[in-house]
Amino acid sequence: MTATESVGERVRVTLTRPTFWVEWASVVGLVLLVVLFTALDSTFLSAGNIRGMLLASAILTILVVGQAFVILTAGIDLSVASVMTFAAVMFGLAMTHGYGILLSCLVAFCAGAAVGLLNGVLVAKGRITDFIVTLGALSAASGTALILSDGKPITVISAPLFELSAGSVGVVPYTFMIALLIAVLAHVVLFKTKFGTHVLATGGSVEAAQATGIRTTRIKIAVYAISGSLAGIAAILLVARVGSAEPAANMTFLLNSVAAVVLGGVSLFGGKGSIKGPIFGALLLTALSNGLTLLGVSQFYQPLAVGVVVVGAAFLTRFDK
Amino acid sequence: MTGAERRRSRWVGGMALACGLSLMLSACGGDSAAPSAGDGEAGGDAKIGVVIKGLDNPFFQHMEDGIEAAAEDSGVEYTIQAAASITDTSGQADKLSNLANQDYDCYVVNPISGTNLVQGIAQIAAKDKTIVNIDNPVEAEAAKAADATIATYIGTDNLAAGKMVADQLATLAPEGGDVATVGGVAGDVTSAQRIDGFKEGLSQDFTVVQEVAADWNRQEAQTQAETILRANPELAAFFVANDDMAMGVARAVAAADRKGETLVVSVDGIDGVASGDIDAAVAQYPFVVGKMGMQACEAAAAGHELPAKVDTPIELITPENAKEAQEAFPEPPSDYENPFADLLEG
Repeated sequence: MTATESVGERVRVTLTRPTFWVEWASVVGLVLLVVLFTALDSTFLSAGNIRGMLLASAILTILVVGQAFVILTAGIDLSVASVMTFAAVMFGLAMTHGYGILLSCLVAFCAGAAVGLLNGVLVAKGRITDFIVTLGALSAASGTALILSDGKPITVISAPLFELSAGSVGVVPYTFMIALLIAVLAHVVLFKTKFGTHVLATGGSVEAAQATGIRTTRIKIAVYAISGSLAGIAAILLVARVGSAEPAANMTFLLNSVAAVVLGGVSLFGGKGSIKGPIFGALLLTALSNGLTLLGVSQFYQPLAVGVVVVGAAFLTRFDK
Repeated sequence: MTGAERRRSRWVGGMALACGLSLMLSACGGDSAAPSAGDGEAGGDAKIGVVIKGLDNPFFQHMEDGIEAAAEDSGVEYTIQAAASITDTSGQADKLSNLANQDYDCYVVNPISGTNLVQGIAQIAAKDKTIVNIDNPVEAEAAKAADATIATYIGTDNLAAGKMVADQLATLAPEGGDVATVGGVAGDVTSAQRIDGFKEGLSQDFTVVQEVAADWNRQEAQTQAETILRANPELAAFFVANDDMAMGVARAVAAADRKGETLVVSVDGIDGVASGDIDAAVAQYPFVVGKMGMQACEAAAAGHELPAKVDTPIELITPENAKEAQEAFPEPPSDYENPFADLLEG
C-alpha cells in the first residue's frame, strides 16, 4: 500500500518537475504521435512502415547531431543542408571522374569538413556572428554546388551504394545504423570526454570557460568542423538514397535540423542539452510527415501541422530557465 | 541572467541582420549569374531584352539555351536576365524595370506570376516597344491595367501535357485502378496545371487516392512515394509533375517490388523512359519556347504581323521512341510548326 503510494508520488513529482518536460518533450511528443497515428491507421506501426520511417530519418539524424553540437555552444549552423548539397555534388563529380567509391566518400567527407572548418574559423577567429557566417556559407555552398554541377543532377550508379541504401537487418536499415552509430559516438564524446565537457562549458558561459583555461576558440572551430563533416557523411547517404547527386537546395533539411534540436530540449543559449533529445526530435518530425502522408492528409495541411507540432513541443520546454 | 539576456539580444540582432541580408541576397543575388550579352555580330535588326525565370531549374536552363541558340543563329544583339530563383517575384520585377529603362526594341518576358512584371511591362508599353510573352502568361487584366498589348504569347500547354499523360496511362493500364499524384512545391502553378490536366484526362476507371507535394525534390518524392505505396499497396500508377521527381518515385516503386505493376508516368523524363525507369512521359520543349521568343522579336522588327498565340510542341515519349527523342533533344524528334521561322524566311 505505502509502496504503491510512493511510486505514484514519485511519478507525480517527476511529471511536475519542469526539467522533465524539457528533457523528454521530443520523446513524449513522439509517443503521442505514434499512438495517434496507430489509432487512425494500423499500417503506421507495420514493420514495413517502421523501416520506411527509419530509412527516411537517417540523413536528418546525422545532420541533427552536428547541429546539436553547434547549438550546444550557443551557435547555429544555417549552412548544414547546403554543405550537404555541396558535398553530394563533390561526391558525384568524384564518382563520374572514376575515383572509386571509397575515395569519393573521402572527397565528400573532406568537402563537408572543409566548409565546416572555414565556418568555425570565421566565427571563432574572425569574430563574425555565427548567423551571418553560416548564412553566407548557405548561399556560397549551394551556389558552388550549382556551378560545379551546372545546375543538373549527376547520376551516380553504384552497386555498393544501392546496397547501402536498400539493405537492412530486420526493420533497421543500414543507413539508420550508421546514423545511430554516429549518435552514440556523439553522446560518448559529449558526456564522457574532456572535449565534451569543454563544449558544454563554452556554451554555458564563454567567459567562465576561458577563466578555467578552456580554449573556447578551438572548441568553437571544432563544433563547426564536426557539423560540416557530418553533413559530408549525410551527403553520401543522400546520393545513395536517390541514386544521383542533386544541386537542390534541401531547405527542409535545414529547418528540420534546427527544429529537431530545439524539440530535443537543447537550449538555444547553449550549455544545456543532450544528443538523444534531438535524435527523438528528428524521429518525431519524420513520423509526423510519414503519418500525414499515410493518412492522405492534403498537401496544403502538412506544413501547418508541422508548424503546430514544433511550436507545441517547444511549449513543453518553456519552463527552461 | 544578464548574460542570457545579452546573448538573447545578440540573437535577435543576428536574426534581424540575417533577414536583411537574405532580402539583399534575393534582390541582387542573381546579377552575378545573369548578364551574358550576345557575342554580337550585330547582324540582326533588333536589340532584344530578355527576362526569364530562375535558372535553378533545368527547364529554364533549356529555355536559356534556346534563346542563346536563336541569337547565335541570327547574330542579333541581346541581353538576358534571369530571376535569382523560381520564387523571386520582386527581384525579377526589378530586373525588367532596369531593362525597360534601357534602349531595346523588343522585350521577351517570362513572368514568374501572372502579375509580377506589370510595372516593367507598363514602362515598355509607354515607349511603344514590342512585348513577347513566353511560357507563363501575363494576366489579361494586368496587361490591360498596364495599358500594354502583348504582341504574341508563346508557351507550352501544361494542361494539355497532363491530359496526354492520362490518355497514355489509359492505354498502358486499360483496367484502371488507384493513382496518386506527386507535385512540385504546394501551390506552384505549373505543377497544379499539369496535375489538373492529368486529372481531367483520367478515364472513369481510375481514382485519384492521394495528392502530395514533393517540392520538385527527388529525395522528397522518393520518401513520399514509399509511404504512399505502404498505404496503398495495390496502387496502379503514379503521376509525377517532373522528370527529376519521377526518377525518385521510380526508385520507390522498384524498392517496393512493384515495378511493372505500379506504373510511373510523368511530364518530362525522356532519359527516364529511355533507361526504363519511367513507363511513359510527355516531354515539353522549353528550348523551342526560348528560340521562338527570340524569332518572334526578330519577325516583329522586320515588320511582320505576329500570330496572337503559339503553342510549342509536346511529345509523347514511350520506350519505342525514347532513343530517338534523346538524340533529337533539345529539339522534338518530329517536325513542328514554327510560324516565326516561316515569317522570317518568307
